[in-house]
Amino acid sequence: MATITVEEREAIRDTARRLLADRSTEADVRRTMESESGYDPALWRQLGELGLLGLIVDEAHGGAGAGAMELEAVMEEMGAALLCGPFLSSSVLAASLLNALGDRGAQDRLLPSLADGSKIATVAITGPQGTWTQDGVAITAQEKRGAWTLDGPAFFVAHGQIANVLLVVARTDDGFAVFEVEAKAAGMHIDPLPTFDHTLRLANISLNNVAACKLNSTRPAWDAIEDALDVARVALAGEQAGAGAKVLAFTVDYTKNRFQFGRAIGGFQAIKHMAADLLLESESANSAARYAARALAESAPDAKAAISLAAFACADAFSTITATAIQMHGGIAFTWAHPAHLYLRRARADAQLFGTSNFHRERYLTELGAPA
Amino acid sequence: MSETRQAGDALREEVRAWLAENWDPKLYKSRGGADWTSTPEQRAWLAKVVEARWAVPRWSAEWFGRGLDDAEARIIEREFARVGAPGAGQDRSNLWANTALAHATPPFKAKIVPALLRGEVAMCLLYSEPGAGSDLAGVRTRADAHSDQRGDQRGDQRGDQRGDHFVVNGQKVWTSGAATADYGMLIARTDWDAPKHKGISFFFCPMKQKGVDVRPLRQITNESHFNEVFLTDVIVPAENLLGPLNGGWGVLQTALAYERSVMGEGARGPRSGVAESEGEEPLIALAREAGRLSDPVLRQEIAKAIAHKKLNALNTARAKADLAQGTSSSIMSLGKLAMSRILHEEARVRTLILGAQSMLEGQAYPRAEDANFLALNAYFTSIGGGTDQIQRNIIGERVLGLPKEPEVDRDVPFRAVRSGATPKGTKKD
Ligand SMILES: Cc1cc2nc3c(=O)[nH]c(=O)nc-3n(C[C@H](O)[C@H](O)[C@H](O)COP(=O)(O)OP(=O)(O)OC[C@H]3O[C@@H](n4cnc5c(N)ncnc54)[C@H](O)[C@@H]3O)c2cc1C
Repeated sequence: MATITVEEREAIRDTARRLLADRSTEADVRRTMESESGYDPALWRQLGELGLLGLIVDEAHGGAGAGAMELEAVMEEMGAALLCGPFLSSSVLAASLLNALGDRGAQDRLLPSLADGSKIATVAITGPQGTWTQDGVAITAQEKRGAWTLDGPAFFVAHGQIANVLLVVARTDDGFAVFEVEAKAAGMHIDPLPTFDHTLRLANISLNNVAACKLNSTRPAWDAIEDALDVARVALAGEQAGAGAKVLAFTVDYTKNRFQFGRAIGGFQAIKHMAADLLLESESANSAARYAARALAESAPDAKAAISLAAFACADAFSTITATAIQMHGGIAFTWAHPAHLYLRRARADAQLFGTSNFHRERYLTELGAPA
Repeated sequence: MSETRQAGDALREEVRAWLAENWDPKLYKSRGGADWTSTPEQRAWLAKVVEARWAVPRWSAEWFGRGLDDAEARIIEREFARVGAPGAGQDRSNLWANTALAHATPPFKAKIVPALLRGEVAMCLLYSEPGAGSDLAGVRTRADAHSDQRGDQRGDQRGDQRGDHFVVNGQKVWTSGAATADYGMLIARTDWDAPKHKGISFFFCPMKQKGVDVRPLRQITNESHFNEVFLTDVIVPAENLLGPLNGGWGVLQTALAYERSVMGEGARGPRSGVAESEGEEPLIALAREAGRLSDPVLRQEIAKAIAHKKLNALNTARAKADLAQGTSSSIMSLGKLAMSRILHEEARVRTLILGAQSMLEGQAYPRAEDANFLALNAYFTSIGGGTDQIQRNIIGERVLGLPKEPEVDRDVPFRAVRSGATPKGTKKD
């Protein structure tokens, strides 16, 4: 990975911010979230042209060769703009899984098309309980004369219904492995799920004797999966921090302009004190997300602890900020037309992805040297 | 970039070499945060640190410093912390010296600043009064200017304006460390016809004199660090005035900012003195010792409490990085509020871990003693130095730009301002 200066990182963040200010306005988000696919193909192409889809893809495969810190910065902007689309599934989770597995053939085959946006990929891993852990994996793989087939279900697969390629985690006689499957493969059923967060797409998938290509791994596949999940957790933390800061900003703004009893409501302590507490939440989330990104980028010994800390701190902060923001606005934020609930919906979905806060608090303590 | 790194390396080497030569941990036995006076050994060490210009490296050479920037100064602080040597970082943490440096008259500054850095004078804060707590601008202790003949003849500008000394009368309360203090940083009213914020002056008030009557108060912690202080015809030399006459409110803001930033960095730990296992988070160690580390509910609570602490450290680190890059940071003002939550939460989780044992106290039950002490002492941070509610007002108004609290008494001559009930237990005689 090329070393990227602070200035370059800010330039990348700026690129994302400017594009999204133009193309992911609230009106765009509302239109896109109600569309069938849940993303705007034209915007997706532009994200590809600007190098954002291939942000963490290496340069040899047509990417920007950036790392966790740049990814986190870009995700802050995407979260603030409530970007609709499979960025987290395709450009983050799938790309980082391909990076982590180290299968050259698969990288050559897939990474360039993920980076330019011509293909969308996602990762199917989750069991019926919606956990991103080994015990949830319900798909099994069988080999006959060198050919692999997959059977079984996966649940809550993000953007499963729009992906061209799925990276499917399955059990083999030799432990876990990752398989590449075309969405259109025979025996593959993809069931879109109705989502509370309309900016998100989820699907259940089930595989019945589906032909699949096993990806090689330079180490136990589950280690690579964990690493990819950690990249996705850092990205998600960035999204939560960025979105939370945005909600706080428009909420504080509102309380300066809404007058009751002859005063701006932000002058009432009940409101002012909520705002002060939310600022602490927001800034802490921001610190945690950035620190986790740095720890991951530098392979610091405390990286896993830092990532779990960011995962629960950012999830909780984003949830608290969005929930409190509605109360601070009053009735206006109970209307569909007001954006507050869009963020609340995103916060509630984000709080489930890649492990809940309770899961990450548990992992945090274990990483601090105190397993249960 | 690499040039500054090299300069940093050289500085680090220099500090290390100096500490290796001079620092002997046996010389300096701290008795914890509870003592308010320093020992002769401590003072000797501090004098050495000041002389070697490690105490206040951000200050100019004229004032015992080296004119270093924040990042360089932190290198020195880290090296001192690494070996456990006190005395560095006083340009951040010594609120008395910083306030004096910024606002004291030249003759007084020359005298007091070195003494403060060397720990030769003990200090206290004479701010709060029975009728003025959160609302410090409501102080009613009075300072009246008096001049003697000598002063009139000398006729220096300040002497003319202020007289040669002030006579102070009134009462202060909750004054931590007053019993041993040599000076108190005092706010007192010098103009009763001006609005409340505009008639206050700021002094270094000598404490060891007739007329200063210090009466210890018993605290909820069963200790007596804070006191009532009755001031009767107390003499304060004119040169001990900080900032302009009636301009004390501005000086107070400097002093409060330092106090709050220090309080945002930590507080007293457990006081039982029974060691907890080192190198491990205290809550983890306590749960392990209590055999409750596998309780899933407790684990969630422990993780949350540790996270509060870690997040505050990350915030502080980010604020410092912002500062080093020249962008000001709003995060700094969050530290004290965050610390108050950290302390209350840590005490709450300790209590959860101990369960029924937390009903006990005394040296035979050090864990209970610690949990209960910490539960009480957390209020030191959430009330002292400006309550959590006042901190939220400040964050809302100064950081987020929300409208200020309405102040019915803001532009009224202070004489006309209404005073209400004073807290029970602070009696005049
Ligand atoms: C351990 C300890 C040590 C101390 N040491 C010192 C010292 O050395 N020197 C010194 O001068 N003082 C000291 N203090 C005093 C401390 O600064 C005051 O107690 C504090 O500022 C609060 O003032 P008060 O006690 O008069 O409470 P009040 O101001 O009467 O407050 C009572 C309650 O009302 C709330 N309140 C008041 N005004 C507002 C407002 N505008 N908005 C919202 N809520 C409000 C407060 O938050 C609090 O909950 C110490 C206090 C403690 C607890």
